[in-house]
Amino acid sequence: MRDITTFFLVLLFGCIAQAQTSTDSIQQLDEVVLSDVKLKRYANGYKLTVLNDSILRKNSTSLTDVLRFNSNMYFKENGYGMVSSPSFRGTNASQTAVIWNGININSQLNGQVDFNTIATSNYNSISIKSGGGSVQYGSGAIGGTIHLSNDFNFKKHVDYEVQFGYGSFNTKNTHYKTSFGNRTWAGNFGVAYVDSDNDYKFLGTNRKNENGAFNNLDINFNLGYIISTKDVLKLYHQNFRSDRELSSTLLAPSSSKYETEDYRSMVEWVHIEDNYTSSLKTVHLLEEFKYFENKDLDNFSKGQANTWLIKHHYKRHFSKRLVLSVITDYSYMTAEGNSFSNPKRNAFSATAILNHRPISKLQYTLNVRKDVISDFESPLVFSGDISYQLFKPYTLKFNASKNFRVPTFNDLYWNPGGNLDLEPEASYQLDFGHELKFKNIDFKLNTFYIETSNLIQWRPNSSSGYWNPVNIANAKHYGLEAELNFTKRKGNHTLFLTTAYSYTETEDVEKNQQLFYVPVHKTNASISYNYKSFTAFYQHLYNGEVAIIGNTLDGFDVGNFGFAYTFNTNKEISYIADFRINNIYNTYYENVALRPMPNRNFNIKLTLKF
Amino acid sequence: MNTKKLVFIFLSIAFMFTSCSSDDDITPTEPLGDYENGILISHEGNFGQGNASVSFVSYDLMTTENNIFSAVNSSPLGDTAESIAFEGNFAYIVLNISNTIEIVNRYTFESVGTISTGLNNPRYIAFANGKGYVTNWGDGSVTTDDYLAVIDVMTNTLDAQTIAVAEGPERIVANGNTLYVAHKGGFSQNNIISVVDASSNMVLSTITVGDVPNSLKFDSSGNLWVLSEGKPAWTGDETAGQLSKINTSNNAITTFNFETSEHPEFLAEENGALYYYMSGSVFKMNSEATTLPTTTELTGLNFYGMTVNNSTLYGVDAVDFTSNGTLSTYDLTSNAIIDSVTLNIIPSEIYFN
Repeated sequence: MRDITTFFLVLLFGCIAQAQTSTDSIQQLDEVVLSDVKLKRYANGYKLTVLNDSILRKNSTSLTDVLRFNSNMYFKENGYGMVSSPSFRGTNASQTAVIWNGININSQLNGQVDFNTIATSNYNSISIKSGGGSVQYGSGAIGGTIHLSNDFNFKKHVDYEVQFGYGSFNTKNTHYKTSFGNRTWAGNFGVAYVDSDNDYKFLGTNRKNENGAFNNLDINFNLGYIISTKDVLKLYHQNFRSDRELSSTLLAPSSSKYETEDYRSMVEWVHIEDNYTSSLKTVHLLEEFKYFENKDLDNFSKGQANTWLIKHHYKRHFSKRLVLSVITDYSYMTAEGNSFSNPKRNAFSATAILNHRPISKLQYTLNVRKDVISDFESPLVFSGDISYQLFKPYTLKFNASKNFRVPTFNDLYWNPGGNLDLEPEASYQLDFGHELKFKNIDFKLNTFYIETSNLIQWRPNSSSGYWNPVNIANAKHYGLEAELNFTKRKGNHTLFLTTAYSYTETEDVEKNQQLFYVPVHKTNASISYNYKSFTAFYQHLYNGEVAIIGNTLDGFDVGNFGFAYTFNTNKEISYIADFRINNIYNTYYENVALRPMPNRNFNIKLTLKF
Repeated sequence: MNTKKLVFIFLSIAFMFTSCSSDDDITPTEPLGDYENGILISHEGNFGQGNASVSFVSYDLMTTENNIFSAVNSSPLGDTAESIAFEGNFAYIVLNISNTIEIVNRYTFESVGTISTGLNNPRYIAFANGKGYVTNWGDGSVTTDDYLAVIDVMTNTLDAQTIAVAEGPERIVANGNTLYVAHKGGFSQNNIISVVDASSNMVLSTITVGDVPNSLKFDSSGNLWVLSEGKPAWTGDETAGQLSKINTSNNAITTFNFETSEHPEFLAEENGALYYYMSGSVFKMNSEATTLPTTTELTGLNFYGMTVNNSTLYGVDAVDFTSNGTLSTYDLTSNAIIDSVTLNIIPSEIYFN
């Protein structure tokens, strides 16, 4: 069908598409629906792992769980459902950037994203790009970037999905999603709600997880409109609210709670001409938190930060093999709260990206970026990546980059302690990858080396009597990551196997010791079997021992098992019943010291699609 | 068998021989435990990380044993050990974030009991009239819920009755049946000493001192010395430290004022001399002096806790709070360092057992 969407697609990627094969056109379809086009187009020399819809649906609702079991990332979760921070190749939470539809959403206050404040059900895909990405994604993209994507489907359709779930510890989760398209309009709307008493038993004790209840609500609304054959307008909006008690540890009771709220809105206008495309984004981000020392009292401390951002991406096709992009953005950030007066920041950045494919087997990208930020000097950062297909199933990938992380509002302005003399953290890294793609097997092996300097750490200051952030530490990280995917279909039977292993050595150069909370070994594997309407899966995580202050924390193995059945009453409507057992071996484990994780637990979900 | 035990056996045998060969009828005293005759150092550990600990160090600093509570009792001590108080054969270890008090035999460190209810942000204990008085902040951000919890020493349980006090009670000392409570101020800053009668459990009066009183020491004449650090600069209302002498018979007060930017802490007293720590240096002042000292005794220090005993100054350094801390000793006649030993994470208070 020659609908306008196809026309639009051809127009958008026309000059490149001419020379490309039919497989590429499928990738283009991906690209037009993606807001974050850069992700695929300019990341050839990087390892990219995409978790699609079906993986997201199979997993539970928290992004922490999804990534813990399906990627090389390691999470430090302060008790189940509590604040969760990632470590990517041994870097810390503020060195991993989360990109929402192309926009960096790391907190202006603490530089991090709490991965338990991202609901997975409202995204079409989640991608993990390993390696430094500061040039394209800004501050904090040191270990890697996590991309949350909402896609548009302009094909004529209207789909609905309703899900109800219930599980152990009085956990209720529900979501409603709808997606529609009619050639000129495309949109999707989703609401997801989770509520849990989270009062699991601590194995081997007569105690349970106290003060750990949480609930969160995610509302997502996205709309695309094709104005003309040359112009398209997209609107994205997200609101996430969470209300969490902060659970006790084995040795410290707690009666505190934490409320957060995030609003993210973006309007994007894309204009397409024969030899160039232009995209203009205007974005507003608002993050708010309230901390209650005692949840029973109306006594809290709070903070909030606003970001207004305008971003322009101009992409020029010089030939079918040579593309130049120029990205400029300006942002204005403000914060307010109990612990600082009203800091403001102006930031401007300019980026140039050159993508060249001299021969069909070889592609490389060169990037350079300069930020001008009020308060401090920001470094010139750059990166280069190359991918070369040596022979048919074997591709070599290499990337090198310089990355940075700017001090956060907390680092600069927190009272007491904020230090206006801080400099951005700097990081250099190298990443060498191998990819083997056979019919049923897909194998990736990457080795990396990261050196970070001027790391910002809060240290006690003996002359002032309080803590100050200072550019003090230097760290080295090196290691390897392996990923293997295997698919086998025979008749109505399908078998999928995905495994990931990471080996990470880290060193605090100053102290000559391993960094805290980075496992040297981490492995995860997931196997699923599908026969007609029946699916069963098993997933396993081995998280090695980690160094903690003055001690080590034991590693652990944990496994989940589940199955699903799809009832097709007719073509128009389908019911899916999912049953899942988490921690099937009933293992006692602590992800963060003194914070036991849940014992064996069950979850049942009913999904209705029509 | 650890070295200490070996040394002990050796000493006992030596002692037996000497007592046998001696005409004097000396009965050797039974050892009270491994941790008799030495220094106990409480370690806060990291807030929320549950790595509070107590170390034992022999007086000659030749033997150090970390984590003695968990070694003896095979269980972790708790979260954030704020202080230890001693009464009879018992040591009461106050665990601020755990909201508990671990009671152990002070010489063997064997657990005797745990007080785990009725406390909210407990800080320090003093004993008077057969009771232990525990300062409690309540919620740090609430100024009206601060109290003294009362331990019945006979049963090692808390009395139902508590004594409401002003915001942020911290250090507490007893003089006979009178208790003096320094109100640092919890999350904010306070500037008073509460005087509490331990026989009636009533607050008798409050005495205004400098802002943020951090140390209380009696001298041999019965005066109570209060060192206040002043409000820090970040409050936007920086105030000077102050040293106050309170005559405990009539609560008359004599004050010594520091400069606004000076924030002293860790007051110690021995033989009529006062010692305190400020900006990496130790100062000494005769208790009869009329002005604050202007010269330093020791410099270039990074103390997180300090005290004086037997003409020796003991200071603990918590380094960067994630590495092992140290204890260093200084000879106060020569002001020379004697020795230094490595301890555990965040050492803070020093006691002599």
